[in-house]
Amino acid sequence: MATIQAVLNISSDISAYGMAINNSMTMKKADSTVGLELTTGLAKRAFSSLNQVDLLTAGAGVAVDVTATKAAKVYIKNIGTTSTEFFTLGFGNASDGSTHTASNGDATAFELGRLYSGDWMIIPWLAVGTTGDITIAPSVATAMNVEYMVFFE
Amino acid sequence: MAVTTASLTITSSDLVGDALSLTTTNTLKKANKIEGLDQTTGMNVAYLTSVASIDLFPALVEGSLAFTGKSSWVYICNKSTDETEFALITIGGINIGRLYGGDYLWMPWSMKESANADNHHGDIELKPSVATGMFFDWICINEGTEHHAVDLAIS
Repeated sequence: MATIQAVLNISSDISAYGMAINNSMTMKKADSTVGLELTTGLAKRAFSSLNQVDLLTAGAGVAVDVTATKAAKVYIKNIGTTSTEFFTLGFGNASDGSTHTASNGDATAFELGRLYSGDWMIIPWLAVGTTGDITIAPSVATAMNVEYMVFFE
Repeated sequence: MAVTTASLTITSSDLVGDALSLTTTNTLKKANKIEGLDQTTGMNVAYLTSVASIDLFPALVEGSLAFTGKSSWVYICNKSTDETEFALITIGGINIGRLYGGDYLWMPWSMKESANADNHHGDIELKPSVATGMFFDWICINEGTEHHAVDLAIS
C-alpha cells in the first residue's frame, strides 16, 4: 500500500470577503482505506496538429491496467508558455484512439474544458471503455506539450 | 482585477522507488487574456439525502450561451468520512469519475452545449451513492454565468 497525498490550495481576492480553499486528499482504493498503489508515471506528450485524440484510453495504452469503475485520479497540465494556446479536454470516444492522425469525426466526445498555458487539473476517472476515454485537442498545430499522470488501483 | 492562484502538490514516499514530489501553480485567467477571473458562485455547502443526480450549477438551458468556451474552474469535494460513500460526477450525462469520501476535483469547464434536444449544455452533475446524507462542497470561479430568465420554461 502506498500513501499518495494531493494538497490543493486556492487563494483569491475575487471577493471582498476573501476566499481560500485548502484541502488535502489521500488517494485511496474504492470502498477502502488502502491507498492507491499504481501509477503511469509522469508522461509528456507533444502535439503538432489540431486533431482530437485520446490522451488516455480506458483499458488500453498506458491506462491498460486501470480498473474501470474503481478509484483513479488523473493529473493533466498544459506546460506551454503561450497564453493564447490551449488544449481542449473531453470525455468519450475520441476521434482516433491513441494515434495522432486525422480526425474521423466520431464526435462522441463531450467537451469538459480548456487548459491554457500553465493550467492543470486533477480529477477522478471512471475509465469506462468507449465512453470513458479522456480526449485532447490542441488549439494550434505548432508544437504544444502536455504532461499527465494517472494514479490507480 | 482579481488574482486567483491555485496550487497543487502531490507527494508520495512509497509509490515508486524514489520519492515523488510534484508541485504546480497557476493563476486563473480569462480565456485568451491576461486578466484574472472576477466572478464566482461562492462556496456551496450541501447536505444531500437522495441518490438522485443533481445539477451543481444552474442548468444551462439557453442556446448560444455567452460564456460557452470561456474560462471556468470547478472545485467539488466529497466531505464524507466514510470511505464507502462516493459521488459519481458527470458532465452532460457522461461519466467523469467517482469522488470517494475526502476526495476532491479541480477542473476547467467549458459549459459546452450538448446534443440533447432540450438544448442542455454541459451541466455538471453529482449523484451520491447513498441516501443517508452526505455533505459536499462546490464552487465555480469564472468570467461569467448566464443566469436563467425568470420562470424560464425547460423542455
